[in-house]
Formats: sequence, C-alpha cells, structure tokens
Amino acid sequence: MRKNLVLVIALVFVIAFSGIVLAQEEEISLTVAGGAVGQEKELTEKAAEMYMEDNPNVTVEVLETPDLANDRLGLYLQFLEAESPEVDVYQVDVIWPGDLGEHFIDFYDYGAEEVVDKHFQAIVENNTTTDGRLVSMPWFTDAGLLYYRTDLLEKYDREVPETWDELEETARYIMEEERAAGNEDFYGYVWQGDAYEGLTCDALEWIYSNGGGKIVSTDQEITINNEKAIEIIDQAAGWVGDISPTGVTGMGEEDARAMFEAGNALFMRNWPYAYALASQEDKPTAGNFDVSPLPAGDSGSSAATLGGWNLSVSKYSEHPEAAAKLAMFLAGEEVQKMRAVEGSFNPTIRSLYEDEDVLEAVPFFGSLYDVFTSAVARPSTQTAPQYNQVSELFFQAVHSVLTGESDAQSAIEYLELDLMDTTGFETGEPTQP
Amino acid sequence: MATSSSSNLAKEEQKLALKLLIPAFLILVIIALYPLGQVFYTSFTNREFASATETEFVGLDNYQALLSITIRELPPVIDEETGEQAVDEESGEVVFERPIRVLPRDPHLYRPSFEFSFFGNKYVVGARTPDFIRAVWNTLVFTFFSVFFETLFGLVVALVVNSEFKGRGAMRAVMLVPWAVITVVSARMWEWMFEPTRAGLFNMLGDRFGLIDGSYSFLSNASLQLPAIIAVDVWKTTPFMALLILAGLQMIPNELYEAARVDGASKIRQFFNITLPLLKPSLAVALIFRTLDALRVFDVFQVMLSQKRYSMASFNYFQLISARQMGMASAIGVIIFIIIFAFAILYMKSLGVDTE
Repeated sequence: MRKNLVLVIALVFVIAFSGIVLAQEEEISLTVAGGAVGQEKELTEKAAEMYMEDNPNVTVEVLETPDLANDRLGLYLQFLEAESPEVDVYQVDVIWPGDLGEHFIDFYDYGAEEVVDKHFQAIVENNTTTDGRLVSMPWFTDAGLLYYRTDLLEKYDREVPETWDELEETARYIMEEERAAGNEDFYGYVWQGDAYEGLTCDALEWIYSNGGGKIVSTDQEITINNEKAIEIIDQAAGWVGDISPTGVTGMGEEDARAMFEAGNALFMRNWPYAYALASQEDKPTAGNFDVSPLPAGDSGSSAATLGGWNLSVSKYSEHPEAAAKLAMFLAGEEVQKMRAVEGSFNPTIRSLYEDEDVLEAVPFFGSLYDVFTSAVARPSTQTAPQYNQVSELFFQAVHSVLTGESDAQSAIEYLELDLMDTTGFETGEPTQP
Repeated sequence: MATSSSSNLAKEEQKLALKLLIPAFLILVIIALYPLGQVFYTSFTNREFASATETEFVGLDNYQALLSITIRELPPVIDEETGEQAVDEESGEVVFERPIRVLPRDPHLYRPSFEFSFFGNKYVVGARTPDFIRAVWNTLVFTFFSVFFETLFGLVVALVVNSEFKGRGAMRAVMLVPWAVITVVSARMWEWMFEPTRAGLFNMLGDRFGLIDGSYSFLSNASLQLPAIIAVDVWKTTPFMALLILAGLQMIPNELYEAARVDGASKIRQFFNITLPLLKPSLAVALIFRTLDALRVFDVFQVMLSQKRYSMASFNYFQLISARQMGMASAIGVIIFIIIFAFAILYMKSLGVDTE
C-alpha cells in the first residue's frame, strides 16, 4: 500500500513538473517533411536554421523523404490516414493540393491574404480548393528545360535544336563522332523514362509540343487518342537504344543528371535544379553547358510541363499556428531568394525574377521567364481526385511503348478506353498550344 | 461416487484451463483476428485511403474486378487480294487480329494479359486487371526459381561448413553476411551493379571480357527483370537456407556414418541413404519458411522495379498508395492470404510434416 502511494506521488510530481517546464519555456518542435533531390535537403535545413535564429523557442527538424514523388505521396498518405501529428509541414507536389486538401489548414486563416498577391497567380489558383481554401503556399516552380553542352555544339559546329527532328539528328551525329573519338559511353540525349510521374511530365511535353493535346483537356474531354500523340510517342520509342541508352527506360531525374554531369550526354531534359549542381566547379560540365526551351514538334511551339512544390500545414499538427508561420517564412521572399541563388530553385514570387543577385547567379531565369509563366499543367485539376490513377495509366502506356512491349497505337487505344473507364469523361479533340 | 468426484475435478480443471487461456486468446484476437477481419470487411467496400469520402458496401465487386478473365480466339487477318491469311512482310509471320478488337468492352473492359498459340490458332487471355494476373504470375515464377536455387546452394554451403576444416567458425560467420544486410540496402547495391551503362559492374565485366555487345539494361528489359531479381534474392537468402540445413545436419548422429563406413558404403551412398532422409524434416521446414516468405516478396521488387513490374505485394502497395483504393487493396490482401494458406497446406500434406 505504502509502496503504491510512493509511486502515485512520484507520478504526480513528474506530470506536474513536466507541465511547468512546458509552460515556462514554450518549447515548440516542428517537423518539415521535405525532399532530398540534389541540394534540396541542405537548403531546407539552412532555411530552418534561419528561422530558428529568429525564433529561439522553436526547433525545426527536417524529415528526409523519398526522391520519387510516388513514394513520397505514399509516405504522406500513411501519416495523414493515421491523422499523425508527427509532421507539421509537408512539401507537396503541384499536382496534390486538390487530392490532399482535406487534410491541410487554410492559410487564409493565418494571414496569407497579405502575401499571396506577390506569387504567380496560376500557382495560387492551383493551390486553392474549389471552396476557396488556400491549402498550400507556393514554394518553388518548375518547368522542363533542355540542357545542352555548349562546348560540343561549338566543336562540331551545330546549332541548339529547335525541333525534335533536329535534336535527333544533332544528337546522333555528335554521339557517333564522340564515340569514334574514344568516349564509348557517350550518348546523345538523356531524359526521364522510368515508369513514374516523371515520364508523365516528359511525355506530356512531347505530345503537347507536337499538337497532340494534354491527355485530358480543360473541358474534361479525353483527347489522347490522336495521330500526333501516337506519332511522337513512336518517335521517342525510337530514341531508346539509339541516341538514348536502353537504360533510359529506368531513369529518373537523378540518373539523367549523373550521366550528364559525368560528361556522357550531349542533351538532357531536366528541371532547373540541375543548373546549379552541374555548374559546380569540380564537374566536367561546369561552364560547358547552357539551357534552352525544349524542342518543338509539329505544333511549332515548345512545351514545358509545369512542376514545382508547395508547402502545406497538416490539420493534425499540434501547433498549427506556429507551423503556418514557419511555412509562410519558408515560402517568403528571403528564403526563396536564398534558394534561387544557391540552388537555382525557381521562385514563385514575381519580383525575384528582377532581382540582381538572383539573375547573376542564374541568368536563364530572366531569359526563360516566358517558359516558366506559360508552362503546361498536367491534367490534375480536371481529373481530381483521380489524377494519380490517370497519370499511372498514362505513364504505363507510354512506358510499354518505350520498352517495345506494345505498339503505340494499341497502347494509346487502350489508354483511351481505360481513361474513359476511370474518369467517366467523353473523348474530344486535342487543344493546341 | 469416486468416478463422479473425479469427473467434477476434471471439469473444474477444464474451467480453470479455459480461464487461463483467455489472456492468450484475447491477445490473438487483438493482434491477429481483428486486423484480419477488418481487411476481410474492407475488401467488400469501395473505401478510399486517407479520404473522407463515403464508403459503400460493394459486395464481391473488388474480387470480380481482380479475378475475371476470359479467353478469346484471335481470328486471322485475311489479305483481301489473295484471300489467304496475311503475312507480315518484315518478320514473315502470319498476322492475327489485334486483341483490342476481340476482347469484350461492355459492361467491363478486358485488357490482354498474355497470348498463346494452340494448334495453329492464336488465343488471347484477357483480364479486367491484367496487372494483377501478371503480378501473381511474376510472384509464382520468382518463388519457384528463388526457392529452388536457394535450397540447392544452401545445401552445398551447409555440407561444406559442416565438414571439418581449419577456420570453420570464421567461415560460418562470414557466410551469414548477405543475410544480415537489410534487403532494401542490398537491393540498392545490386541496382548499382545492374546499371545499364558501363558504370554498372555486370556491364563493365561483360564489356571487358567481350561477352556482350553494347550494354544490357537488366532492370528495364522485360526478359531480364525476373532473372535479375531472383539473383538478388538467391544471393541474400542462401545463407539463411544454409543455416537451417546446417542445424539439421548437426542433428544426424556420427555413429551412423561410422557404421556405414564399416559396412563399406561410399560417400555418395552415405549422402543418399543417411544424410538426405534424415535431413528431410529440416529441409521441409526450411522450404516452408522460404516459400511463404517468397510469396509475399515486396522489398526487392519495390526498390528495383517499382512500377515497371509488380509482385503481388508491391501491386497491393500501389493500389493502396497510388490509386488510394483501400477496398481493392484489401481484396488483394485477402487473395494473397488465401494463396499463401493454400501453399502452406500443400506443403504440410505433401512433405508429411508432423502437425502434432
């Protein structure tokens, strides 16, 4: 009996004191789930430190999440299904706010009104749910770019390609010359061909630039089954094992970057983040490459898929107010500028595209401003909440053509039927750029 | 009188035994039966993962969507000019109608799973979820070959480390290293070795010794994917097999071999008449362990092939995470459960494992 009493008293003390400790210092610990592609994690940690300097009572931890967007979504869904308070701020893909909106707080409740006007309007609209809640703060935007080796184009006296045919021709020519000169591992063009969301981005660029529409039009019509789309997918399948390594059908962003940075590729399709990394001094590509818009197809204009990531605060966070403040700081001007200068992450704040420091560090932000503002969005809003299924059907169909398992026509015909089955939409004519 | 009192006592004891069993039973209910029942129940609904959308009871719809298959004959394409079956000019093979024109679309879309020829006619097997049918097939192929090679190599390794030689203890420890490496890590290591350029070990070796022309992309070439994955699993799990078999070997009394030697039996005779029969129980246990484990393979497939090719478990994962169809994913879980259960019973019957 006495023993029990002692135990109870001890327990009361522990509880009481821990309560007092909490009340006195208001120590808050926040966790940010962020990406780790390239320099991402490093820069997020740096931004977290900047925040902790100003707010000594807050500890910010960065949780490293998988590189592939699908895997990352899987992790997030598990946290959200369990209504876990473990993660406070999530880094979410531009295609997720519609699907995951119900789990996030509305930034308008925490004073976002004052800052949203500074950001790209298209992204703010993308992040606003149908009932007018701003569930994500824009963090950085992305668009597909063509990276090319300036030194090699100069050596063989070739121009930067403006059409896919030119790209193919130039790539084949220089690849053969370079191989004959001794670099047997040299390839013409590397891109994202693995069966994942990245392939959806790449293939959308081919198809839209060729006049084949954007899979599902803004009016919710399925437009994928057309000659232009089939033609360009066939052309891309021809690259595999020719100007691109056969292994390109297993490549993601980081695989393509590794090959380009090693000096083994002439052209690369990638996001802007690779610019700062490929410019690092000890790399063979430093000073020997530049970027341009991706080549155009039959439509005559080039297309870049809109990418980018946003920050959302979980409804299940224990400190939603502090977390919202942190998210808005991370998405604010100071951090976005730091990320632009050090990591070539595209700001979502318009004024930063005129900032001298930013333009000095990443000159193409100024020259390719139009590419970023007119990027083509994946059909995530028109197909929500089924976008993931739509995208998976699409990239599996394209992947089966790339690996030669299926011919482009059958794959696309089946894709059309599958999309009708999944979304319930009718078919229609593709929209032109 | 005496009998009734003793039976009373027996009843009392039985009651006590039941009471004592309650905690164990409760734990079993909480950690095994409840989740299992939940999965069974969810498999009859269209529940969405991490979403507030209303869940409806849909009966057997999920199972029908997963398991419906149909076989159709592909009619030959008749060349209009000659009136005979058209022949492909490039390959010289006769041309058949494409499956998309043959398979039913209403009320449900059937997609081609695979095609086969039989007496000159060509047939297509269509399924509503061909990815799942293929995932089951991949898993069965994976299980058969990986378990076969693991048992074979495991037996060899066990026989070697069971014999007397210098440094046997160290050898036994070293043997276990692949098994100790976390699967995700070893899968990543192998992924690097399988790199499709000469940066990968296998392509580099093949190139150096002039064995291959160009480079193989092991993980995106459909015919190399399963062999590559099986190689990883065999490398990783052979030590485990060897360990189990080694335990069996050590239980065989030495006197038997001495007696056999006295009788003049050769080493090979000793192996087939003494070692193998006495090893059978341990082999059976090892086989059951590995087969059931291989049937629910997830990590190697997830890391190395992701969405390029599925095992049953990784297909289940993507149904849940990517498509967010929890009802469908639960139905897949139930089917995996039933398949594994069937294998377990099959093994117990055919290998005569003592169930007592």
